[in-house]
Amino acid sequence: MIKAKPIEIFCGTGGVGKTTTASSRAIYLAKQKKKVLLITIDPSLRLKEVFGLNDKMAGETEKVTHLNIGSQTPFEFEAMLMSPSATIARMIKASSKGELLNNPIIKTLTKPYGGMNEIMAMIELSQKIKTQKYDTIVLDTPPGKHFIDFLEAAQKINQFFDKSFLDLFKYLGKSFEGSRTQTLSKKLIGGIVTKGVKKLLGYLDKVTGQAFVEEFIEAVSALYQNREYFLEGLELEEKLKIQSFSNWFLVTSVDQQKITQAGKLKEQAIHFMHYDNYLIINKTLQRQLDSWSPETETTKSLKESMSYRERKIKEFSKENFSRILEFEEILSDSPSEHVLKLSESWDNTSI
Amino acid sequence: MGPIKRLYVVTGKGGVGKTLISLALAKHLKDKGHKVLHNSFDQGTNDRLCRDLDISTWNSSLEESATIYIARKLGSETVARWIMKTPFFVSLFNMIPGLGYMIYLGHIIDLLRNDPNLTIVLDSPSSGHLLTTFEVPSNFRDIFGSGILVQDINKMEESLNSSNFLKTLIVCLPHQLSLSEGKEVQEKLLNNNIKRTELLINDSLSLIPDLPKKDLPPFLLEKINNETQLLENFQNIDKMVKIPHFSSLDEKKIIMNLQDYIKGLV
Repeated sequence: MIKAKPIEIFCGTGGVGKTTTASSRAIYLAKQKKKVLLITIDPSLRLKEVFGLNDKMAGETEKVTHLNIGSQTPFEFEAMLMSPSATIARMIKASSKGELLNNPIIKTLTKPYGGMNEIMAMIELSQKIKTQKYDTIVLDTPPGKHFIDFLEAAQKINQFFDKSFLDLFKYLGKSFEGSRTQTLSKKLIGGIVTKGVKKLLGYLDKVTGQAFVEEFIEAVSALYQNREYFLEGLELEEKLKIQSFSNWFLVTSVDQQKITQAGKLKEQAIHFMHYDNYLIINKTLQRQLDSWSPETETTKSLKESMSYRERKIKEFSKENFSRILEFEEILSDSPSEHVLKLSESWDNTSI
Repeated sequence: MGPIKRLYVVTGKGGVGKTLISLALAKHLKDKGHKVLHNSFDQGTNDRLCRDLDISTWNSSLEESATIYIARKLGSETVARWIMKTPFFVSLFNMIPGLGYMIYLGHIIDLLRNDPNLTIVLDSPSSGHLLTTFEVPSNFRDIFGSGILVQDINKMEESLNSSNFLKTLIVCLPHQLSLSEGKEVQEKLLNNNIKRTELLINDSLSLIPDLPKKDLPPFLLEKINNETQLLENFQNIDKMVKIPHFSSLDEKKIIMNLQDYIKGLV
């Protein structure tokens, strides 16, 4: 049995059953009367299909019970489809700068595919942890490279504020608390960089037009004024690396045609992970395949090609992971039935 | 059948077989005598397979494409290289990955405009990425409002929306969630005015020809039954291409087999 932690992260290359495994974990923990929040950051939002959630509720938590998926054993937990625009609206509302929500750049970037999904997700997660309402938050992350973007989100924002924007604002004559505490040497360096910024803005202006530069500065200053949220995100990023705080599950599945992708993902994420990381091999049919003795040529080669995938994935797993969970393929056409059956697999994990 | 398109984009979640399908498409077009380049959108290449199949590739990185673009706009490569190295731009590109995707796509469209005989097959990272990529031009037009960037964005969209320019193949596996996602991607693309899309269901056991049912164990019969049922439920999607599982361990052979199923899509 795997001990529940405050944060449980499910990542994978996409199409491997990440959402279903994360959901099954949430159900499993909820059945043990733990207070669980399940968040999906994956913009494909498959979670809504599994539990019949309402699209319009994206960005808000919704209660899910055994009734949502026709389970006999009662349970309840909260689920949320991540919505970057809802997150930023809450952030900006809290700092009572409502008019900033109308900034066209902020509006556009926080659309579901606007490109700030990962950053907003990190902020949302840190806010949810702060409420201290949950024993465990199960996180269904975006596929592949987006997941790395998610992990690096807070760092990126920090870079964004640190290295360039203080200079930018100084140049533009806007005052920020941060700039008051500058040391003399920093000011000197700042002077040099500022010249660069001036030049840069000139170029930017030429390519994008004046209106953009103004709106852009407004957008950035809005984000900057809310930087404590981003800094909390950065703290969370550090906390995720603590073993007692998080479990990492890398999900892959036997029907994947590119097993090397999971390896790549681990390579990129490894400096975030600690010892409690598990590889989940989903949809394995090994047991059934082993007990099948086909007689015709067609069926023999089918067995061979199916077993080949199982072999490949297991070779890969042994080379790269010390803790492997195998979940058998569940033959069911309904997503909710599927999740329900999968949640029982967690009982059998012997690690 | 009309003339072939200029740009084919193959998308879908990870591991559904996008790469092999995109290579099969490139191979098919090449064998018919077209000038084709295969591109894997800044995700590393499949050099060995491409060499084996005699498919030419074109690859650039997001950063390289952005540098080239800025250099052209400002008339200086040195300035462009400097701009791309400033912390401001590095962080801007990090914060807004969509900006990089848009410039990359713009680069591809430029190549196609400059060579009317060329066709490019793009193996796109994942459907989420693709939606971001196709949505960014209109997002950035809203953001920029005026300026020369907007003219370029308009030109880009004009190309993407013109008939006979773009076709998008959305690949999924025969599972409920994968299929409904494929359908959703198709709808979202339509909202972005990307009209010519095809849904491909890859690797279906139920479509293997001449599979002797008597020789199948119960778990496979059930799996095949579920797939058949699922494909029936999704029957009303027009232009759905169904591809069987190929019982082969050889990627080159699979690519050759795939060609029969995708040649109708060009």
